[in-house]
Amino acid sequence: MANYKAPLRDIQFLLADVFNADQQWQSMSAMKDVSVELAVTILEEGAKICQNELFPLNRSGDEEGCQLSQGKVITPAGFKSAYKALAEGGWIGLGGSPEYGGQGMPKMLTCLFEEMMFAANSSLTLYPCLCVGATLALLKHASEELKQRYLPNMYSGVWSGTMCLTEPHSGTDLGIMRTKAIPMSDGTYAVSGTKIFITGGDHDLAENILHLVLAKLPDAPSGSRGISLFLVPKWLVNADGSLGEHNAVEVGAIEHKMGIKASATCVMNFDGAKAWMVGEPHQGLAAMFTMMNYERLSIGLQGLGSMEMAYQHASAYALDRRQGRAATGAVAPHEVADPIIVHADVRRMLLTIRAYTEAGRAFAAYTGLQLDLAHFADDANVRERAEQLVALLTPIAKAFLTDRGFEMAVLAQQVLGGHGYIREWGLEQLVRDSRIAQIYEGTNGVQAMDLMGRKILRSKGQILKPLLADIAEEITRAKSNSELLPWCEQLQQAVQQLQETTDWLVDRAAVDPDCAGAAAVDFLDMSGLVIFGFLWMKMVTAAHLHQDKDFAQQKHQVADFFFAKLLPKVGGYQQIICTNPRCVMQMPAQQFLTNV
Amino acid sequence: MLNYKAPRRDMHFLLHDVLDIVEHYKQLRHDDEMSRELIDSIIEEGAKFAEQQLAPLYQSGDKEGCHFDNGVVTTPKGFKEAYQKYVEGGWPSLAADEAYGGQNLPSSLGVVISDMMGTANWSWAMYPGLSHGALNTLEAHGDENQKQTYLTKLISGQWTGTMCLTESQCGSDLGILRTKAEPQADGSYRITGTKIFISAGEHDFAENIVHIVLARLPDAPAGTKGISLFIVPKFLPDAQGNVGARNGVNCGSIEHKMGIKASATCVINFDSATGFLIGPPNKGLNCMFTFMNVARIGTALQGVCTAEASFQGALSYARERLAMRALSGIKAPDKEADPIIVHPDVRRMLLTQKAFAEGGRALCYYLAMQADVVASNVDAETKQAADDLMALLTPIAKAFLTEVGCEAANHGVQIYGGHGYISEWGMEQLVRDARISTLYEGTTGIQALDLLGRKVMMTQGQMLMKFTKIIHKFCQANSSDADMSPFIPELQRLNKEWGDVTQKIGMQAMLNREAVGAAAVDYIFYSGYVVLAYIWAWMAKAAQAQLAAGATDVDFYQSKVFTAKFYFQRILPRTQGHVASMTAELGTLMDLDAAHFAF
Repeated sequence: MANYKAPLRDIQFLLADVFNADQQWQSMSAMKDVSVELAVTILEEGAKICQNELFPLNRSGDEEGCQLSQGKVITPAGFKSAYKALAEGGWIGLGGSPEYGGQGMPKMLTCLFEEMMFAANSSLTLYPCLCVGATLALLKHASEELKQRYLPNMYSGVWSGTMCLTEPHSGTDLGIMRTKAIPMSDGTYAVSGTKIFITGGDHDLAENILHLVLAKLPDAPSGSRGISLFLVPKWLVNADGSLGEHNAVEVGAIEHKMGIKASATCVMNFDGAKAWMVGEPHQGLAAMFTMMNYERLSIGLQGLGSMEMAYQHASAYALDRRQGRAATGAVAPHEVADPIIVHADVRRMLLTIRAYTEAGRAFAAYTGLQLDLAHFADDANVRERAEQLVALLTPIAKAFLTDRGFEMAVLAQQVLGGHGYIREWGLEQLVRDSRIAQIYEGTNGVQAMDLMGRKILRSKGQILKPLLADIAEEITRAKSNSELLPWCEQLQQAVQQLQETTDWLVDRAAVDPDCAGAAAVDFLDMSGLVIFGFLWMKMVTAAHLHQDKDFAQQKHQVADFFFAKLLPKVGGYQQIICTNPRCVMQMPAQQFLTNV
Repeated sequence: MLNYKAPRRDMHFLLHDVLDIVEHYKQLRHDDEMSRELIDSIIEEGAKFAEQQLAPLYQSGDKEGCHFDNGVVTTPKGFKEAYQKYVEGGWPSLAADEAYGGQNLPSSLGVVISDMMGTANWSWAMYPGLSHGALNTLEAHGDENQKQTYLTKLISGQWTGTMCLTESQCGSDLGILRTKAEPQADGSYRITGTKIFISAGEHDFAENIVHIVLARLPDAPAGTKGISLFIVPKFLPDAQGNVGARNGVNCGSIEHKMGIKASATCVINFDSATGFLIGPPNKGLNCMFTFMNVARIGTALQGVCTAEASFQGALSYARERLAMRALSGIKAPDKEADPIIVHPDVRRMLLTQKAFAEGGRALCYYLAMQADVVASNVDAETKQAADDLMALLTPIAKAFLTEVGCEAANHGVQIYGGHGYISEWGMEQLVRDARISTLYEGTTGIQALDLLGRKVMMTQGQMLMKFTKIIHKFCQANSSDADMSPFIPELQRLNKEWGDVTQKIGMQAMLNREAVGAAAVDYIFYSGYVVLAYIWAWMAKAAQAQLAAGATDVDFYQSKVFTAKFYFQRILPRTQGHVASMTAELGTLMDLDAAHFAF
């Protein structure tokens, strides 16, 4: 099993050479103290904690799993001290608001740290990850009093947080949820109901757990417009900040899952639990959605971390394992066989993983940058443009990165052959752990519908404009290098195919609403590929100016692979999408069943 | 919870409406014994056994797993008893030679039975599956004495068998294996070495286990040409052929795996164990390859089993789970939401599973019929044609069907959303269990090299042309049928393109030998999609013929036509990306310095 090594060199390249982060951060007053130099120093420290504290617990955490004993969740051995190292190092509040004790670092930086954490140990990372999600919602919507009382301890990791949305019958469709919140005379609420799939719903890592719970007020309108957001602490907090009574919230069970076994997935029972409303009545879903863009990117980063880990495992194995001889003659004639890296198909698998991983990291940084610009840019026009990009990019970041995260784990497993199926090598765990990321925080089908319906169709395709402008600019820049011309043409063609497909869908969906649903997942994949093409172009252009010629050449070679072997899939998607959706809808439901 | 129901209706359709199996058996056996009634009743018995005995143990077997204690393997609760019933039912002997206690039924019928048992419980089915491998080896290469001693016991099911190939340093590359076989004065051999990944290498099903072991003689040439095949029983048979002295064979440990946890994957240590040579010295690999194609149908089937099981699980959930409303208007106004089968994306996933499960099943049965022909006593030319067809199609079936089987299993999890990730539903187990299928019995990459290198390039494309000719004839015969217009032109185009890209790769390969390896996996995927297109067009034709003839089962036949259309419109365009990828410049793969892959 390979050890995890954080991709610091690639990170430095992205920040300094590809995205000119210094210049970007200088343009935002709130970020003007951040520099590439500082960012790299921070990430080097972060790398150490991921490599030395988180990664060594990844396999053992999976073997041991979480235990539920007398109503308490016990995390695997070592998790407490690793979590403590994260908390005390200030890593949980890295991107938190400085007003409440956070470090105020930009998302373009924190997302690169998140990737490292997920790569090293996704189960462990989910505990702080959910907490960060909760702080985002509180920061944006909670009263000043609640923020003062809870945020500092959450940023410091003394307390942690959860997001309680799903119920047994309501997952994707939150409108039909049943958890109730009854107003009390003291201004608080009594929350009752059962929530499932609550990540970190209970654990032994922090002193208190703050649940953000979606529930319905007695007079709530039906459907998704009747949902409010509440804060429910596990331990009630006294006026002086000390912990008081245990609130009426209990963990009922923990799930037995395919993977992320060291992350406690809890059934939470709220039985008249004392709660405080966050934001306005019936605006709970809207409040959740404000932090959704950040969370989606975070889960996308789980996919990215999975790709990176997959690559590290598989490439180490491929250089070490000896089987067969190179097609063009023995490369290591003194050994019994050649290392399997000589085989073209093994290279194909490794290069596929690498091409997606490196573009994926650039994609994360690009999306992180847009989130920062949307939030911190001084110029309102810049903010607006970035917001449009964020709206477009986040469903793609979540779905495209997690789909690739799983697929790349499978490919890496394939490189190891039969050994990839055996637990001790770690690859099968990576496959199991990464599988969840395609499902939670909105399944990838739901992300695709968000992209297709809410973003593309609602704007009649206009939402693509800022992205397409960025791509056009990049192509123009790249054209000055004659070596890149064929790729420019290819990318241009892929963009055109995306535009044609978008136009076709906008026209067609107006008369046939099912058309959008039938095309959504393929359209998201197609968009992701085009964006990856753009980012490869951007990276290669930057690499050509890089002093380290060896590094630049490698980027060029991986890009070569991407343009030759992966980008051409765009054409196939156009054909799949721009076809009569009737073939998806025409078969009556009962005919699905006629085989038995 | 999974609740397997054997797809009897689909099987009847394939065997009778599409493949005309009764006529096929009549031609091969020169008798009328294999009537439709007999075939259907055997299927019905197999279905009951799979549904009632095997399916209930699928999830419990995963949860419990196999246990290892000091060389002894204990299988999960109920497994042993199910095997006893399997033996009592005469299933091990179904397609075996009458001379050694078999029932002499066609082996293609055995594939239909394996389909059901494998879907109900793949881990369990691996034990008899491996036995079958050993049985085939003995049938083909054992001498009369070996057959009397071992084959009869394997056919009756009293003993089981294994195939011992892999060692820790050698998997895909068997040429470097180290297990030794030293000749003894009495004509036997002493076998010494360690084998890994031995499925069913040790268990509590049967009183004896017959290992078929690859090993090297002292004077063996290096590489794959120096490997011989040996029988090494766990217990040596006594003079009466009953279980005698314990041989020097021990299970050292069992692997902790991602899935198929109820199947014992063993490290087997041979410590001067007594072995008996099968077939000529140094011809061990050739002996194995003689029935490799038949064995591969068995592993290809795992893709079908996975897709079917996942489809059944996902379908029942999609019809019950309520979430959101249909885009085209409310479908279940009396419920708080519509069943999720109304959503196009859920349908997309279900139809993809259905297309792979049913298309894959048809391909496996079709191949099984070719195996019947090869094993029969028809004229040499017919035999050769069937043999060539199998040689071309089996690597495709193995690699492509197991890969799309994994895809189908993942769709099943996705349809369940978060619940798909939870063990009790069984959907995640299907993903874990399926993941092995693209790895063992030759990884997808190895199958792809076999197809493109050995089958297509080495025959100068002749083997491929024999099959594209079959497709061509089919297209010609149906070109004027208006109902077939959604299928024929596209199939025709792909059939031509298949030849063109093959030629293009061939040209590349003349300039650089790496070209074959570089294109191989894209090529096998591409080939798989085209083969399945032919199969789906064929099934659509058969279904339309039934509808035209006034069949009353309209829903069933229509669903075939709908699924075929879905396959052609939504799955088949995937071929485009593969064409671009496999015809790309070679440098993209080979330029990056090996040292630059990892840091």
